[in-house]
Amino acid sequence: MFFHMVLERNMQLHPRHFGRDLRDKLVTKLMKDVEGTCSGHHGFVVAITGIDNVGKGLIRDGTGFVTFPVKYQCVVFRPFKGEILEAVVTMVNKMGFFAEAGPVQVFVSNHLIPDDMEFQAGDIPNYTTYDGSVKIQKESEVRLKIIGTRVDATEIFCIGTIKDDFLGVISDPGANS
Amino acid sequence: MSAEEEENAAELKIPDEFLKAKCLMNCEVSLILEHKYEQLQQMADDPMNQMSQVFEKSLQYVKRFSRYKNPDAVRQVREILSRYQLAEFELCVLGNLCPETVEEAIAMVPSIKVHSLSRLQLFMFLRGKGNEPPDFITRGRAHDDEAIEKMLNDLSLIKKFE
Repeated sequence: MFFHMVLERNMQLHPRHFGRDLRDKLVTKLMKDVEGTCSGHHGFVVAITGIDNVGKGLIRDGTGFVTFPVKYQCVVFRPFKGEILEAVVTMVNKMGFFAEAGPVQVFVSNHLIPDDMEFQAGDIPNYTTYDGSVKIQKESEVRLKIIGTRVDATEIFCIGTIKDDFLGVISDPGANS
Repeated sequence: MSAEEEENAAELKIPDEFLKAKCLMNCEVSLILEHKYEQLQQMADDPMNQMSQVFEKSLQYVKRFSRYKNPDAVRQVREILSRYQLAEFELCVLGNLCPETVEEAIAMVPSIKVHSLSRLQLFMFLRGKGNEPPDFITRGRAHDDEAIEKMLNDLSLIKKFE
């Protein structure tokens, strides 16, 4: 889920940047340092939308660098366990399939794919129902539920299911149950 | 037990910070990111360099999964859903997934079944098409479903006229 939040960060700046463009340089550095990063708590910082406040700078002992506390507004993406969302299938194999929802990758194990769907190997590996009416393959759009999240240094990885009601391939009209 | 293990969006058990934060539907994020993309393009440098992969993937994702493209429609969706005393998170899941039936809506956002009396009152009021005095006093909880159905009908109307 996407959120619009106000976050705070201490930015360090070398004195050579001081001058008329100080604030601009701070903002540029903030964008470069923060946009695209991921933390376990806030999720992915997708885009910074504005600067709320730049606090007074504090000179750090011993180095001469100055630390500015910056409050900024941003759009973050944070997946939650139990959340239902739509995703695009990126890879299918006999263990299950991978899908992407924005910056987050979700794995759906074959144990969490409805029993009436079977894996079909081949040029375009896919999961298909016995009657061939529903197919999951690369680029399919699916609705899935996140059942677990794992955070490592640079990204959040999720596992999901499509076994519950109203989950599965998104097709018109309605979804599978 | 860590906070992450207790987390469950289906019961609205998410950290307070997120419960209180402004939640955004995909269509709203699409407008924000498109705008930012245009700003980047206007700057002298090559915009592709400035975009992180996270930004690019998110932009592609929200464009693909936005149910409403027109900014006015997006505003209307938020406005209509805001009348139903939903949590921000619930509102956005509904706006993103656009369930067609009450059963689907409850499956997508199980927490909406847990109503407080005041929310039920609000539902019933809106069921009376806006400005008529509410006659909810004698009705019981069984009408939750009708209220949800009205909400879904309103949403689908926006889609028709977008």
